[in-house]
Order: sequence, then C-alpha cells, then structure tokens
Amino acid sequence: MIVGGQSLVTSPPVFSHDGKKLLVCTGCTVSVFSTTTGMLITELEGHTERLTSIVVVPVAGTVGTKFSNYCWTASLDGMIFYWDFSTPDLLKKINVQLPVHSFVIPNILSASLGRSDKASQNLYAFISVEDANKGVENGKHLHGSIQIYDLTNSTRAGGVLAETHKPETLAVSKSGEFVGIKKKQQLNIWRVPNKNLKSVNMKKLKLHHTRTLSCLAFHPTKCIVAAGDVSGRILIWRGFGKMRHSQDGGGKMKIDMGDRPGVRGEDDADSCSTWHWHSSEIKFLMFSSDEAYLFSGAKEGVIVVWQLDTGNKTYKPNIGSPLMYFTDSPDPSLSCVSCEDNQIHLLRMPSMDIIKSISGIKPPLILSELQGDRSRVIIGCDRSIGFVALPTKDYRIQFFSLLDGTDISHLQVIERNYDPVDETTVFISLVEVSDDGSMMSTVEEKLPEMGIGGLISLKFWIRGSHTGQYTLSTIIYEPHNNAGVSDMAFCPGRSMAVSTSYCGNFKVWVNNSSFIHSGDEIQEKGGWRCQSVSSYKEIPMTAAAFSGDGSVLAVAAETKITLWDPLNNVLVAIIGDSLGPIRRLAFVGSSEYIMSFSSGTKADLVVWNISNLSTHWSYKLLVEDICCTRSETRVAVLALLSSSDKSISTGKDGMVLVFDVENPIPVSTWFVKKAKGGRLSFINNKLGEATDGKLLLAYINGEHNYVLFDPSNVKEQEDLIPKSARRPQSYAHDENVSHGYASIYGELPSFDLTKARSSDSIPFVLSERPWETIFSGSSHALPPLSKLCSPFLESLLQKAEKQTVLSQ
Amino acid sequence: MMADEATRRVFPTEPASHLRPRSRSVKSLVSTPESSFWRTFRSSTLHPSYLHLPITSLSFSPNSSLLAAASSTSVRVFSSLSLSEYDPDFDPALFATLPLPDLAYSPSFRCDGALIAAGCENGAVRVFDLPNDKPPKTLRRLNAHSCASRVVSFPLLDHKLRLFSAGDDALFVQWDLPTETPLFSVPGAHRDYIRAGAPSPVSPDVFVTGSYDHTVKIWDARVDSGASSVLSINHGHPVESVLFLPSGGLLATAGGNTIKIWDVIAGGKPVYSVETHNKTVTALTLAKVRDDTRLLSVSIDGYLKSFDFSRFKITHSMRYPAPLLSVAFSPTGTIRVVGTNNGAMYMGIKKKKDEFEDQVGSDDFAWSVPLPEKPTSRKNIRYFKRGQSEKPSEGDFIIKRPEKVKLKEHDRLLRKFLHKDALVSVLKTQQTTSIMAVLEELVARRKLIKCISNLDNDELKLLLSFISKKATQPWCARFLMDLAKCVLEIRAEDIRSGGPEMAVHVRNLRSMVAHEIQVQRSLQEIQGMISPLLVIAGK
Repeated sequence: MIVGGQSLVTSPPVFSHDGKKLLVCTGCTVSVFSTTTGMLITELEGHTERLTSIVVVPVAGTVGTKFSNYCWTASLDGMIFYWDFSTPDLLKKINVQLPVHSFVIPNILSASLGRSDKASQNLYAFISVEDANKGVENGKHLHGSIQIYDLTNSTRAGGVLAETHKPETLAVSKSGEFVGIKKKQQLNIWRVPNKNLKSVNMKKLKLHHTRTLSCLAFHPTKCIVAAGDVSGRILIWRGFGKMRHSQDGGGKMKIDMGDRPGVRGEDDADSCSTWHWHSSEIKFLMFSSDEAYLFSGAKEGVIVVWQLDTGNKTYKPNIGSPLMYFTDSPDPSLSCVSCEDNQIHLLRMPSMDIIKSISGIKPPLILSELQGDRSRVIIGCDRSIGFVALPTKDYRIQFFSLLDGTDISHLQVIERNYDPVDETTVFISLVEVSDDGSMMSTVEEKLPEMGIGGLISLKFWIRGSHTGQYTLSTIIYEPHNNAGVSDMAFCPGRSMAVSTSYCGNFKVWVNNSSFIHSGDEIQEKGGWRCQSVSSYKEIPMTAAAFSGDGSVLAVAAETKITLWDPLNNVLVAIIGDSLGPIRRLAFVGSSEYIMSFSSGTKADLVVWNISNLSTHWSYKLLVEDICCTRSETRVAVLALLSSSDKSISTGKDGMVLVFDVENPIPVSTWFVKKAKGGRLSFINNKLGEATDGKLLLAYINGEHNYVLFDPSNVKEQEDLIPKSARRPQSYAHDENVSHGYASIYGELPSFDLTKARSSDSIPFVLSERPWETIFSGSSHALPPLSKLCSPFLESLLQKAEKQTVLSQ
Repeated sequence: MMADEATRRVFPTEPASHLRPRSRSVKSLVSTPESSFWRTFRSSTLHPSYLHLPITSLSFSPNSSLLAAASSTSVRVFSSLSLSEYDPDFDPALFATLPLPDLAYSPSFRCDGALIAAGCENGAVRVFDLPNDKPPKTLRRLNAHSCASRVVSFPLLDHKLRLFSAGDDALFVQWDLPTETPLFSVPGAHRDYIRAGAPSPVSPDVFVTGSYDHTVKIWDARVDSGASSVLSINHGHPVESVLFLPSGGLLATAGGNTIKIWDVIAGGKPVYSVETHNKTVTALTLAKVRDDTRLLSVSIDGYLKSFDFSRFKITHSMRYPAPLLSVAFSPTGTIRVVGTNNGAMYMGIKKKKDEFEDQVGSDDFAWSVPLPEKPTSRKNIRYFKRGQSEKPSEGDFIIKRPEKVKLKEHDRLLRKFLHKDALVSVLKTQQTTSIMAVLEELVARRKLIKCISNLDNDELKLLLSFISKKATQPWCARFLMDLAKCVLEIRAEDIRSGGPEMAVHVRNLRSMVAHEIQVQRSLQEIQGMISPLLVIAGK
C-alpha cells in the first residue's frame, strides 16, 4: 500500500533552525526534506486531517543545550502535536477540539530561552480556528475566531480575540511582539505583552484600506507592517501603534492629524505608502532578514524585491508558475518559494538562483469554459514501470513515478513560452502511453479566438535510453481535419496506433521507420504515417481499444461498438447499443469480453461478449474510468456516486469496484474521495519480494493524490474498509506505508540521527585539547560555523587558564 | 528534482512548420568538402563513335594511362594522358580500336596494363596486347560461351595467366590464358543471364557473379564443388552490377533502383541498403576522393551518386542529360568518365590542385614540440594588460558566456506585449510563415480581434494586401478565410472610406475568392467523375 501525491503547497513550509531541513505539510503528514539534496528524509505521521501550520522551536542561545529538532504542528483535526522531528517522535498531544487553520507562538523564543524558570513562562499560542457551530450573529456567519491557547497547561487562555467570517491566517513578527490578521479591508494587530498573557489585556489596533487585503507581514524589528491587497497593491504602514500601544490602557491620546501622509482616518500609524506593480492578488509578502528589502509575489511568477527605503525594485522572473509562499531560513543565504504547480524551489539568497527544486505531482489542468466533453484531459499511464504522464499547465508533460513517489522528468511538448497570467488557450488534451512505455502520443489543442485559428496536432514520441525520456518522432497537424481527437490507443506488440475523432472517422497510424545510429544520437527516418481511414455511418467515434494480441480493434461509434481488423481495415462485426455515447472501451485480458462505459444522463457500464455479440452483464452506474489487466480477467471500475447517496456526507463521492468479468457481483469495493476526474490503472509491482509479480491497482483521484494497493489480497481489503472509513483520503495502513525516499533506500532517519548526534557531540567531548578535534571530520558533517565558534573560543580560554595555573 | 531554471528556454514564434509547404528540393546550397572536390573536375563530352550506340562498359588500365570503352562492335582505347589535354576539335586521343566480331562488352585490363580482354555478343572472348608503337593484335580467342559473354575480367591481383568470363548462357569460366583452356567451368551457374561480375581484391581465385535471377554468387576456383557456389546472396532485383569493396570483406550489389552492401565474411549478411536512384542502377565503381574511397553509382535516371560506405551516406550527386550505363574512375583519382546510352561519354578531368590537399601537405612536422613562448617581460606594459586580449591556448578550459538569444523584431515586441506593433512589424517583412506564426500566437493570446480593431488605415492596408495575396493558399486558407471575414466585418466602415487603395485590395480579394470557387467547382466535378470509378474498382 503506497499513498502519495499530496500537495506540497497547501501551507507554507518551514525551515529547521539550522536551515538544513525543510518541513513541508503534505496532507496529514509532515515531510522533512533535506535542503542540500532536496530528498525526503523522514515523515511525521499522526494527524488525521490536513495539516495547516508548523512552528519550529528555535534553538536556545546557550551553548550547553544540544541541537534541538522540535516542532509544533496543527491540523484540521483539532489537534496540536509536539514532535522531535529528528527521530521522529511524537512528544505531546494537545486537543483543541476545533479545526486549527493557523497557529503561531509569539513568545516561543523567549519561552525557550528561559526554559529554566518554568513558572513565569508558559507557552502561549495564537490559534485561528473554525467553529462551524457558531450561530448567526447580526445576520453574519462568523465561522472563524482567533483564540489564545496555553500550550504548557493545555488550556484555553481567556476568550475570543476576534471573530472573522472565515478562518484567517495569522502573522507574527520575528521578535514575537506583534500578531496580526487581515480582516476584509482592515488589519487587526495585537501587541503581545511579555507577561500575563490574557485576552483582556490584549490591545487591538486596526489599520484600514479600501480594498480587500490578502496578506500581511511584519518588519523584523521596526514598527512597520506591510499588507497586500487583491488588486496587487502593497501598503506599508510605518510606526503603527505608537500611540495606542505606548499608553498603558489610559485615555485616548490626541492624534496629530497633520503630518501623516497616506494614513486613513484615525488609524494609528505615522505614514502609509502604497506600491503597485503586481496586477493580481498579492500572495505573499516577506521582509528580508537584513531588514532592508521586502519580497512580494503574485500570480505572475515573478518575485519582486522592493528596497524598503526608496521603493526601488528588482525582479526575479522565470519561476514559471504562480507563486504561493515565500519562506526564509535562519541561514541568510537560503530561502524557498512555493509555487502553485506543486513545486518548492530553494533559492540561494542574494542572487535568488534556484539551487534545488522539490517537486510533487502536478496539479490537474483546470480548463475553463471548454466545450462539453472535450474539456477532459486524459493522462497517460505506463503499466510496466508504474509512472504516469501528466500534462501540465506550462505545456509540458510530467513523468511521475507512482511507486517511488518522485518526479522523473519533464518533457516540453508544445514549443511555446508559458506565462502564468495567460488564460489557457493552448493545452495538451490527451496523453497516451503504450503498454510497454516505448511509445507515447500526445494531442494538443489550440483554441480559436472567435472562430479564427485553432489547431489540433498529434505528436508521436519514442522512448530514449532513460525512463521518461522521449524524443519527438512525428508531428501530424490536424489529424482529423478540424475535429478533435477523442481517444488514442496503441496496438500491443506492434508499432501501430489508432486515433478516433468526433468528425466520424478513425485513422490507423503505423510507424515504419528505420533507425540510423550516427554517433550517439539515434536518428529516425520515416515516421508515423496514416495507414487507413475508416468511418462507420459518419457517426462520431468516441473511443478505441486494441485486443490483447492486437488482432482486433474495437472502436466505439457513439452507442455501438464496431470491431475491425486493423491490418486490412475491414469491419468485422458490430455490437449493439449501449444507453449513452461510449466514453471508453477496454478488452478484458485475453478473454472474449469487452467492457465499455458511457456517461451523461443514461450512464451505464456494460460487459459485452464478442463471441456471440451480446451483452454479458451491465450496470446503471456513472463510471469515471475502467481498467483491465492484460492477462487475467479482473477489471477495476471507478464509479461516481450520485448525490443522493449517503456517503456523500462523508466527502466520499466515488467507489472503486473490482470485478471478475464472468461474474457481475463485485469481488471487492472501496469508497474513495474526489473521484471526479480520477484514473485507475493496473501496474506491475516492482517493490518488495512479498507481493512480487502481482499487479497493483493504482487509483489517482481528481486532485492527483494517488494510492497503490494489491486488490487480490482480499483479507487486507476487509481490514481496509473500516480503516478507510475512519481515515479519510485513503485506505492506507499506518505501519506499512513507505514513501518516496524511504521506499527505495529503506529507513533513513536512524542513520541521520546518529550522524546528527555525533556531529553535535563533537564540540562537547571532554577532550584535553578540543581545538584539535573540533574541526576534524568532513566538512559537511561539521556543525555550522556559528556553533563551532563559541566552543572553540571557550577551549582557547580553558587553555589559557591552565597555563596561568601552571605558571602560578 | 532538477534545477528547473536552466532547462527553461525561450521559444520564438517561428516554428509554425505545419504552415510551411514542404519543400521538395532537399538539396541545400551549402558547400561540403565533398562537393568542392567534385567541382574541381572540368567536364567535357566525347563521342567515341559517331553512331549513337550505347557505351556499355568503361574501364581504366591499372596504371591509369589507358581508358577502354566498349561501344558498338569495337573497344576503343584512349590514352588518358592525351585525354587530359583533350581538344574537342580533333580526335588524337584515340589510342587504338580493337575490332570484335559482334557488339563488344566488358573490356578488362590485366594488372600490369599490357593485355586487354573483351567479350562480345556472339560469346567470343578476345585477348589483345597493347604495345605502345605497333597496332594491337589479337593474342587469344577463347570460345566457350554460346551466348553473349557479358562479363570478362582479369583477376585484380598479380596473377597474369588467368581470366574470368561469364555470359548470358549462365556459364562461368576461369581460363588459363596460354593454353586457351578453361580451368574451372560452371555451366548453369545461375538460372538466368549473368550480367555482372567482379574479381576479389584479396584473392586471385575468388570471383563474384550477379545474375538476372536476383542472386549474387561467390565462386572460389580452388574449391571444385560442382555447380554450387561458395556463397549465394539474394539481392531481390535483377543484378546489374557487383563490386567488392577494397577490403574484400564487403560486397556492393546493384539491381533495380537499390544498391546493397553485404558482409561476405559474416556469410552474406546485409549491411546497408541505398535507395536513392529513381531508376535501375546500371554500374558501380570505386573512386578515390582525397584520402577516402567512395562508391560511385550511375543509373538510367541520369544521376551519378557518390556514396560514402564508411558512413553510409550519399555525399554527392551529379546529373547528366542522358541515361547512364557505365562509369569509370581513374586509379590516380584524376579522371571520371560516364557512358550514356546515346554514344556520348562525359568526362571530368581534375583541373587544379585541391586546396584541401595543399593544407594536408604541411603536417609533416607535427611531431616537433612547439617552442615555448617567450614570456612577456614584466617591465613591459603589455604584461599588465595581458588578460584583456589573451587568446586561450590549447588545453585551456574556456568558460563561455551564455549565448544571447537572438530574437526577431516581432518576437521582441511580443515579449513586451506590444501585440499590434508586432503584427505590423511582421507584416512588413512579407514572410508568410512568420506572419502566420505571429497571427497564431495572437490567437493563442486572445489578442487578434483587438489588434485588428486597433490597426490604423495604413496598417490595415498592409493586412488586407497580405490577406488578398495569400487567402486561398491551401496551407493557410482555413485561417486566413476566417480572418478575412472577420476583418471585413470589424473594419467595414474604414474600408469603405479608405480610398482607392483599400478598394483595390478588396477587389483583389473578391476576384481571388471567385477564382477559388471556380477551382473548387471544377475539382468537385473531377471528384464526381472519379468516385464511381473508385467504387467500381473497390468491388
């Protein structure tokens, strides 16, 4: 059982205190990546809902403490956990009972510093929770609320600080002095007192703007707050809260209305300046650690660096995707930016070069207002190696290994510059990979503007020497005149493919090319040519499939299935009517059955018998995808549940059914979430000896989260069903899950731990002459220089003392 | 997990290759070293006989002083020395004429160039001597063939008393010259006419024959195995010419319009197949091109092609005005002769020293160690400035500056989102493919309609003139027809008030559309005529 494909960019990632690890929220787990290699080190598992925030405990300043790898995590399941993420061990559980959307600990630095005197320093957290049961107040639904929580005693401290329509994201200043949220067109800022943290002595400060604000950031040291709004403007308030916060609860001081440029109404700030470069909603704002610059980012995929004093700006273009979050690390030369295409780029700081990219599975292409059925984008799947080919927004195909959970490669399909701001007018509508993965075809569509232009082209690719490396073989422009390609299929064991179109014909393509080896490169002569064109009563052809031995080609002409001899282009037989237009066909192994499903109002799933051209069995089900094994008679069906079903309430809108084709009673069933746009595929299992040779069933849901499991293991399924009921998103076991890095190389963390321990123990070895051992060892194992410096100097001091003793 | 940035490149709007009509002329005008070599030949024409009879075979003597051409009932021998100063006005080049009883075939020089043998239509094989001062005389008459002896050849190696012959009676004979008796004879060596043969360059006893029964057979006179050959290869077409490549391990066969290379040592494994001629390949020969050897082939289609068999690549091709039957290349590499079916011989004589060869000559002293460069003295100001214009010496690792992406005007404007300016600038270039690419890019950006409505009158004229010129070209018609309709709708007012020039464009457009409709109608008529025929043929 392998689960994967979670989004890396649901919430901002956090660096560990030494900048060597990056903690990323991936679904219900925290993935810890190494910033030097970009590889997954370990995962923290325990939450049962999506994680929303992580707070890393900063290292205490005194030298005596060991390197600490502690963090707090909060999740929508209403729990706050305390972890040692180097081991990884769960140290503490706190139940807040309400889904936590955002969570900050302002006094974490001071609290960890003065850990010795516990009495005075309780750890307080500001949490932004969602309270769905809150009643209607003054005709408004106030679902979100900001509360203070005492983490040391696990109790709620005081009442509600603020109430918002929906849960807001909290921002905290570096020093922990201010905490703020955006609330529609205003900012709410609280000053956190050093002692006696109670909601009653918190003072709220409001700063107003005319547009809805989208994000905010505090200056690390000064009283400056920056906020971005939905129109792309950045507002900088300087010297906020001087009046309000300076007076200790006394009467209102008189506000000097004269010399406050840009400040609205009675807002408590010295000045407010506005910068405008972005054209859309600001996604993040971040002050640089040297306090001189402000970083901002939005949909354009450009990081803008503003000089705070002058407002001059420089740009970091070419990130290539809408930006989401920007996080800086304690190491001033490292930061990271999260992009909407599920990638986190690690940046080398002053120059902003991308050092490493951590990329997850690409999000599905969302196409707006495309005509009807053509809007679906078909993703390809290679059965033999277990990777999927996903079309991405930037005109590429991502090859993603389901077994390893890693990104393999990218292939530029359309030679066009990608601009994240543009609406999608050119896209890859279909990717089909042959069974052995040696051939691939893609269909790209350019949409016309008011009937002008528009082009559909079909490309054939052949695999190069590596997995996921494909070279372009043939481009066919307008394969079916102006009509769209509805489906593609490759003939197993032969260089033959078929493409069906909505204009009522299908074409059989053959590749009779010879390869010329000239040096290292393989040149291809010839290429894919159309062998034959056929049509059946000019009915739009909607799906195609080859039989397992490649001797029969089945093409769906709306409701009928036509069987052809692909070599001689002869119509062999017609199997009659399904209820609606058929969307997909599949031959069931080497048996005499063919399976089809149709969508629309009269959706159905039918198994046809080819030998007597009749229906074997059928269901009235709205089916999203089917898949069959090549050798056995098992078929898997992904069905969408209609809205009247009960299980909709639990968020599950689909189910996976496994049938033996002879029998209409499903062998096993699972309920799944977000089945719309999902895909099923059987892939060969190459992991682990225990289930060797068995086919795994891969289910990729509409958000490109996926799960791989062995459908034949019936006992396991029976365990699974209650599990999946308890644990949403997937039916995964807790024990056997091995992801990405760990699944290939085994358990890494234990090794990492010893390494970390050994490296940090070096400075504290009771050696006679520590300056000799302190710098020994390979450079990457050494603690950072800041850590080494003080013990080194200390050791020098000791030496001097000894000498003085001796001289005395 | 790659660093994404390095792989991201800038795509210009140009690759609208689906628009470009596929060019038939593949040949580029780029000069290769090979083509410059062939260009150093001065060509001339020679009519050995004033009858228009085909020149069936050409052969150079091994020391390259003589050229023999079989035409009509005689073999004409030319002195190649006089050929090189050949003057078309008078004909002193002719060295000797060897009479034969019937149509002459396949002259062959002995390895020392002293004897020449030729076959003939009635099957006789004659051997002549070629003394310098006296007229040639017939030395031996070899009679064994009952039909035309098309293949006569001396062994390539130093074996002066042997001769191979084969003919239309499918008989293959190895002769002992002094006694005029066959040493090794295979009656019925093939099941059809033997029209090709070649001796092996490595063994005097090995010979290959090719026949119209599609097979090529290798014979070894040392192995007396009756009628069966050492090796038999099926070429797939009637074989017109066979040839051992210099190593003796590879065999080239020509038949139909294909030339095939076989590995003899590996038991007749096909190595490569060339199909560049359009008609039957008639003859093959080897040519020395600088330090390399090429396989020359001539064909009925009038082309002479040079094939580099080490790289399996056609390196040069030349066209002649008549079907070619024979080809010869002098062993010194200075004369190239092709024979046609109308009695003309085309000669190329190398007129000048190749500039390429001049360069090669100077590497005799490549062994000597270059003298260490005198270090610039520190007193010299150049020492301190030396970094600026220092040339990298050999072995230095050069860090290249990232190459600047060169963008065209319209690409630059498109990158700045100046859509209308880009459209206008590309319309001014008048390059159809670029214009179409920019138009498509504008469609993809959803900016075309806006551009059209923003064009001023002069720019509109540009666009209209482009549309009226290209609208009915098949490869951009679908796009431009829609565009024309759209432009006329959006800018109707401006066009009406645009003055005479605008009216001319619109009139052109209209006449073009009318013409296109005419064409379509006649095409439909033709289709109507053809489709019943196709239906009948299908049944």
